Amino acid sequence: MPHHLDLYLKRESTLHRLDPRAKMLAVAGFIVAVLLAPMHPTWPMGALLVLLICAAALARIPVRLMCRRVLSLAVVIGMPFLLSRLGGEATRAAGEQFAARSLLVAAVFLVLMASTRAIVLLEVAERPPLISVFGQLGEFILRGVDLLVEEVMRTNRAWALRAPTATVRVRLAGLTQASMSLISRAAARSERIGAAMVLRGFQGKLPTATPTPLPWSHMAAGVAFALASLCVAGLGRWR
Amino acid sequence: MVRGASDRDVLSRARELALAGLLGALGLLLPIGFHALGWGGQVFLPMHLPVVVAGFLVSPATAVSLGIVVPFLSSALTGMPPLAPPVAPLMALELTAKAGAASVLYRTLRLPMWVALPAAVVADWAVLALAVSLAAGFFAIKASPFQYAWAAILIGLPGTILQLVAVPAAVLATERRVPRLRPRKRHGTG
Amino acid sequence: MALTALEATHLSYSYADGASALRQISFSIAHGERVALLGPNGAGKSTLLWCLVGVLRAEGTIAVGGTVLRPGTEAEIRTKLGLAFAEPEDQLFMPTVKRDVTFGLLAAGVSSQEATQAAEQTIRNVGLPEGTLERAAHELSSGERRRAALASILVMNPVVLALDEPTNSLDARGRASLAGILLQLPCAQLIATHDLEFARALCARALVLMNGELVADTPMAAFLEDTNSLQRYGLIASLRTDDGQTRVL
Repeated sequence: MPHHLDLYLKRESTLHRLDPRAKMLAVAGFIVAVLLAPMHPTWPMGALLVLLICAAALARIPVRLMCRRVLSLAVVIGMPFLLSRLGGEATRAAGEQFAARSLLVAAVFLVLMASTRAIVLLEVAERPPLISVFGQLGEFILRGVDLLVEEVMRTNRAWALRAPTATVRVRLAGLTQASMSLISRAAARSERIGAAMVLRGFQGKLPTATPTPLPWSHMAAGVAFALASLCVAGLGRWR
Repeated sequence: MVRGASDRDVLSRARELALAGLLGALGLLLPIGFHALGWGGQVFLPMHLPVVVAGFLVSPATAVSLGIVVPFLSSALTGMPPLAPPVAPLMALELTAKAGAASVLYRTLRLPMWVALPAAVVADWAVLALAVSLAAGFFAIKASPFQYAWAAILIGLPGTILQLVAVPAAVLATERRVPRLRPRKRHGTG
Repeated sequence: MALTALEATHLSYSYADGASALRQISFSIAHGERVALLGPNGAGKSTLLWCLVGVLRAEGTIAVGGTVLRPGTEAEIRTKLGLAFAEPEDQLFMPTVKRDVTFGLLAAGVSSQEATQAAEQTIRNVGLPEGTLERAAHELSSGERRRAALASILVMNPVVLALDEPTNSLDARGRASLAGILLQLPCAQLIATHDLEFARALCARALVLMNGELVADTPMAAFLEDTNSLQRYGLIASLRTDDGQTRVL
């Protein structure tokens, strides 16, 4: 069931089978641990990295793919780090801290997204009352992406036939015009989609399925990972 | 037969959600298109375009929600902007301020577009400067946050100019196509 | 049970600019009856369908399964009268087919388990394979999308099923398959279509709209033999080909 945009990696793995709520709990605990763990000594950050690698291994994420995805953040993380090397000791330390923590947090999210379908996370996000509107909007955006990608592919084929040797300026103009046309067509389409929603019983909020109970073993696994991370950070600070 | 107000409200809400979904989807896809053509996201701010347009077409609550959701969803589906370092949260703050300000000024206060859009851009810059100064404190970064914010504004100037040109055109074209989306009692044309 | 499945009395509708789209349309459909709604482009077929479900406010009276459309009964009417759009993509607005098909039942307060079971049964009834529920709509072919959209309506067991140009972009097999599904359904059907053969195969009665007026309410078989009427109502047209022959389309 691939959507056009998704970092999900289809695998049969322990992490893939784990309930998304347990995974989110584990990730939350890990992030708190990364933010709390001291930079010196270095073993707490090293231990958190090992935990992360174990999680990635459980998810059977290929090493090369994981490295490629993390490296795609190289510019965003690397540039501030490199710039900090030009400053004094405090700036260099801040730069190291920034890079190390950012890498770990970014990597744990990548593991989560590789092992969990985006639609599943959105369905979880729809349930808590305070953030349910975000989950609902997210579901519509996900479907909107699939709709628009198909429309863009059709436009692209027409564009390729009409202007195969277009210059950059022409392509820019074409992209801008196509975007504006997509926007006004999206508005017209939303009139019909809104009517379809109401015809199917929409009353202001998307209906959600009753959540299945979180199996205790899954909960325990999530809690264990979070606690392990927090213990590492706590021990590092205490020592 | 007169359709009840509650049914009209529900239909309006449904259409707004659908429109926000489609514009949010554009907010995810445009950056991919720009990157594919080699045009920098930080320069042309492609994610901002559809979200700001949405600010002019939907209610403030929906505009704010969209500003929050789009960067995080983009991060979850494509890895960019990243959650760490906190580029996605900063972008969410920017987009929330910009789209929310646009909606309040244009749809609630019925100000003309030539006032609402620049004001929304300024709101974005103000929130960016404030957010960066708070984040800098949290990460113990000694460099001036205003330098970062100023650099971000300068780098993104082409994108800001693009918005000032493209957003009014997109909003007016959409309002012509779907007249229901016009705010009632316009004070002037954009 | 109400005597008629659908009853429309003196329906009129005008656009915002004052142009009249429907003028004093009255008809009724019995339970289990299949009626074709015919007419050239711009006759008002789609507008009529939108008025029947209350999305457009028409003057006159609409009753579905005994329930009169008025403020407060819109939701009940829309449960009893299901409308299949000309473009099924507009009706598949959730990320997965399962979310689309169970949407109406969950909105009505049915439990997830029951909704899923009903969705699985309905998917089988419209001839879609087992794993369709877990798929995203964009992965389906155009025929499958149309069936998925239909399933999202049929799962609510409507009293009347209205279809707007259901054979759009379907090949001959697709049309035959859809006809087979519709023939099995017990509900009344109102099928707006340009496809006269499809209408002939399914419907014993035709309502003909022209310029917003109901110009004919007639048995289908005899009507389709009357080429003069078909031409007068814009349902067929002549074409002179290169070889000098006149063909009818």
